[in-house]
Amino acid sequence: MLARLPLVLFAAAALAIPYSVQRIFLHTGIEKKMGTVQKIFYFHVPLAWIMMALAVACGIAAAIQLRRRSQLAESISIATGELVLITGLAVLVTGPIWGHATWGRAWTWDARQVSTGLLWLIFAAFVLLRRYGAAGSERLAAALAVFGAVDVPVIYYAVKIWKTTHPSTDVVGSLPPQMWASLWPALGALVCVTLGLLLVRIRQEQDQAGLDEAWIALDTGGK
Amino acid sequence: MAIVPLQLQGLSKRFGRLVVLRGIELTVDAGEIVALLGANGCGKTTLLSIAAGLAPASTGACTWGDAADLDIEARRRLAFVAHSTQIYARLSARENLRLVAALRGDVGADPNIDRLIARVGLADAADRAAGMFSRGMQQRLAIARALLGAPELLLLDEPFTALDFAGRTLLGRLLLEERSRGAAILLTSHDLDAVAEVSDRAVLLADGRITAQASREGSESVVSFAERIRRLGTDTRTNAVQELAPHA
Amino acid sequence: MSLVRQSWLLAKNDLVQELRDLEMVMTAAFFTLVVLVMFALSFAALPAADQTLAVPGMLWLAIAFVGALTLTRIFDREREADTLRAVLTWPVDRVAIYFGKLGVTLLVVTGCGALLMPALALLFPAAEVFLERPLESATLLVLGCVAYCAVGTLFAAGLATASGKNVLLSVILYPLTSPALIFALVATRALLEGHPALTTYLGQLAALDAMLVALASWLFEPVLLGNVVKPVRSAPRRRPMKE
Repeated sequence: MLARLPLVLFAAAALAIPYSVQRIFLHTGIEKKMGTVQKIFYFHVPLAWIMMALAVACGIAAAIQLRRRSQLAESISIATGELVLITGLAVLVTGPIWGHATWGRAWTWDARQVSTGLLWLIFAAFVLLRRYGAAGSERLAAALAVFGAVDVPVIYYAVKIWKTTHPSTDVVGSLPPQMWASLWPALGALVCVTLGLLLVRIRQEQDQAGLDEAWIALDTGGK
Repeated sequence: MAIVPLQLQGLSKRFGRLVVLRGIELTVDAGEIVALLGANGCGKTTLLSIAAGLAPASTGACTWGDAADLDIEARRRLAFVAHSTQIYARLSARENLRLVAALRGDVGADPNIDRLIARVGLADAADRAAGMFSRGMQQRLAIARALLGAPELLLLDEPFTALDFAGRTLLGRLLLEERSRGAAILLTSHDLDAVAEVSDRAVLLADGRITAQASREGSESVVSFAERIRRLGTDTRTNAVQELAPHA
Repeated sequence: MSLVRQSWLLAKNDLVQELRDLEMVMTAAFFTLVVLVMFALSFAALPAADQTLAVPGMLWLAIAFVGALTLTRIFDREREADTLRAVLTWPVDRVAIYFGKLGVTLLVVTGCGALLMPALALLFPAAEVFLERPLESATLLVLGCVAYCAVGTLFAAGLATASGKNVLLSVILYPLTSPALIFALVATRALLEGHPALTTYLGQLAALDAMLVALASWLFEPVLLGNVVKPVRSAPRRRPMKE
């Protein structure tokens, strides 16, 4: 049953995405100040939320992996780490598109943008370390992920503490109900896709580990 | 709480897909010296690292007496002499030893340190920077440092390398003294004659497994034991651990 | 024996060795000087208003570079002599190793910062605040350096034992310490501008330091040794075959 879950999620996404696109572009009003380009917001913000959630999940899984030597935790941290890169890339691309159309500058160097970019770099280092590092570097990569996850609140704080040209989080709160309502389908669709990919990747890592163990069992069994 | 016997049960170690140790079964008891033999790269150093608590096993268990892992109290009773001498080059021999004594919390350790320095034959060079020592002298210092805490379990990785004839004789004598004190000693070596002189048991590691072993019998001569050890490597056709009987 | 005493013994050991030839201290100090000269050449022509923005960056960039250099050097020595693995087998709390190294690195890096701040004040009028308000400047310096070194020490140690390459340290270290450095940057700018929120920033930086040190010391032993808790399985788990 669990094996079918990714398929279910992708199927749900296949329905949710067209629905939310239609809803966003055809049935939601156009924002007064920023115009049509504001609609990127419906994808940019959910992706940013998902990215941060994944980063935190990766850090927690990595911490469990380190303290308990859990293979499942390690698989989860690898999968979430890689997905941080993908969603992060989407955020770092949609943000500048929105920024360029709205304020005329794609990269405004404000703290939130920079912090997201740094988060992305940290998890890129994580993925690189895992892929190309020497024998003991899985643990080091896990430590990297833990600190990367700790970085997430820093991103959140950055908006509060520093003056920034990035719209404050208040924008999300002050939307009229109709616009709020359009955010959730987009969020739901993206969560389905992300979760589906996550489960597939975790299963892949678990299978890999299982194969390694079977290999060793075969090897040692022939004693 | 004793940390002997050292017991390896079904111990395997892998690095990714590379399996270095397969189902190792080995016990080292108090008052015995066990020598681990094998070709380069066969996993001797890995096994010793696991026994020293420096790396976790992949499967199976390594236990020290009743303890399943080496906490600080257990490490107090353990000493590991690695293949590299692991000494602080800019400190003198005496300072190297003083550091460990201080970390162990041994108050008034100086007389003991002086005695150890004399025991390993470094009395003349005790206050010279250890970086100036020859490799053999550094090795002696590392051994002195290991003996500082009168360890229950002594692990040595190729201790006879880099020692001259006098050094090898000295080390042999030291190991026998420690054994009669009741220490359990596990060492790896390529020097079969030195091994035959001190060991009670020689174990051959090949292809990640223990494939043969030979125990010294009663009053068996060193030459005879050495000869049997030499022949350990010749019959690895079967996977069963071989016991080579005397005069077989 | 207490953790504090063991950490102190290990740190003292490193310091005693360092005082024998002063290699690291001299290298770090000279490097600081070189970086300072480069900054002076690059930014001397900046108008005073822009200096307030540039000086924090110069300060913390220089500290980041010196920090990476110091960490690399400290752990290179350990790796060459393999002494770190020796200490891991001694009856020493592994966390004491972390605090010992942290202490030494902090001392060197803060020392270089203590050279940098007055030098920057001499070169750039906007930075004279460093001399006018020494207490706040010193606090800021120490807090910022702690944040940097807390993280750096963990990863440098991890790389030293994992037979990793030095170059990886730079790849890992700069993104990882950047949030902390940004905090320090903002606080420095607040100091230079006489911003009233400075105390708040310093407080937050102190809280960040506490968290980073706690996290790094918690992760130190698992990262270095792979957590030597006895593995639960003695035979591989049999996983159900997929249909």
